Amino acid sequence: MPPSSPHSRVERARPLLGTRVTIRCDAPSARQANAAIDAAFDAIAQVHALMSFQDAASDVSRLNRDAAQNPVQVHPHTHRVLVCAQQLAADSAGVFDISVAGQLCHWNLLEPPQAPVISDEASWRDIELLADGRVRFRQPLCVDLSGIAKGYAVDCAIAALQDAGINAACVNAGGDLRVTGADCERIALHGCGSDAAYAPVLEIDNAAVASSCGYPQRRLHQGRWLGPHLHGSRREPVDPGISASVIAPQCMLADALTKLVLADATMAAALLGRHGALAYRHHPAHGWQAIGDTPPPVILH
Amino acid sequence: MRARLFLLPLAVISPAYATTYLSLAQAQALMFPHTLLTPDFITLSDAQVGAVEKIAGSRVINREVRVWRAADGGWFITDGVFGKHELIGYAVALDAKGTIKQVEILDYRESYGGEVRMPAWRRQFVGKDDHSSLTLDDDIRNISGATLSCTHLTEGIKRLMAIYATVLAPQPG
Repeated sequence: MPPSSPHSRVERARPLLGTRVTIRCDAPSARQANAAIDAAFDAIAQVHALMSFQDAASDVSRLNRDAAQNPVQVHPHTHRVLVCAQQLAADSAGVFDISVAGQLCHWNLLEPPQAPVISDEASWRDIELLADGRVRFRQPLCVDLSGIAKGYAVDCAIAALQDAGINAACVNAGGDLRVTGADCERIALHGCGSDAAYAPVLEIDNAAVASSCGYPQRRLHQGRWLGPHLHGSRREPVDPGISASVIAPQCMLADALTKLVLADATMAAALLGRHGALAYRHHPAHGWQAIGDTPPPVILH
Repeated sequence: MRARLFLLPLAVISPAYATTYLSLAQAQALMFPHTLLTPDFITLSDAQVGAVEKIAGSRVINREVRVWRAADGGWFITDGVFGKHELIGYAVALDAKGTIKQVEILDYRESYGGEVRMPAWRRQFVGKDDHSSLTLDDDIRNISGATLSCTHLTEGIKRLMAIYATVLAPQPG
């Protein structure tokens, strides 16, 4: 596509992925911007339809229902997300594990379309990705891709915008976002990671950022506050007071790595570098900390 | 890829912000291009409110429904929903059979903690330590944190579909 000078900046929003998704782009005309944004929203809607935990017709629901009995054919998008999830599970010795969904259903932090049959010993190791795009569970288990698929949806939207000739864009799915183009983007980090004295503002360019914090979704279970995040191998809940933000080249990685930073900052520090990612973590007692080789926060007075 | 976290004194946080994505006219042109839309606003009767609430499973807050009839048989409806901290205006386009063909958020108002305003002197600061070419006129609209749910919006769309079924759709008999 020949280079063109963008004149029109268009931003639109739709309810998708259970949140508000906004897409902004610069294009030579509003008509071109709108057509590109339509295509990007369609890409997100497709990922949502394939990987929704609640929708009984999604790939994820079909896996949870049938994959322990018979291999289930999934869409290439779903397969790609599963490959990334399994790689992170292997690299983190199971601290990142999409099969913690069974435990979350048990704690009423996730509502499955039907009551899952789960083996207590089952883990990510029982998820077998077959070469022909089919998936088999070696034991009855339950997977939830929402901790990674939202980021993937953002990446798909960026790809759709780029296919339409758009260079400068921002796709934000409820706080998991990716920016392309020459401009920097500023993002207020919001949620439980605010402390009394300072507001955290992240500045990024040509990058994705995702944040996780369990505080708003926490539930009291047998006298204890539980959030929606778990340490995968210990099956222990992560303190819902902690929040994490990860910056990575792709939003899928940023989204998935937030769960690792929440669960085990030391392990995450080693993995971040391998993926070209940076991370900040907030603990109510310790404030904001840079993880691994991430530059420390700059305090403005 | 570059990134840096700045911690700004809390005093610069503004309590609320609002964004308009599409005006009414823009939304109509986008969702029904080159199609004549005729206003056909309705006021729900007590019986209709009861029927809609029964189908939708949530309360009808506003009996006035802003409906436009499209020349191709479709419908354009706008509505507003209140969340815990936000007010969302949105539009739904239905085809002639009453199937949703598009939903667009028109405007969004966050009632607290949304925007971080930067005084001019501080803008000069941020981004200066590396080689960024910032557009410095913007307040900060992107927020990353715990994901906001859009449950109220989903409920609102369900209610509009119930209104369609009860009032707008061709009634049997």
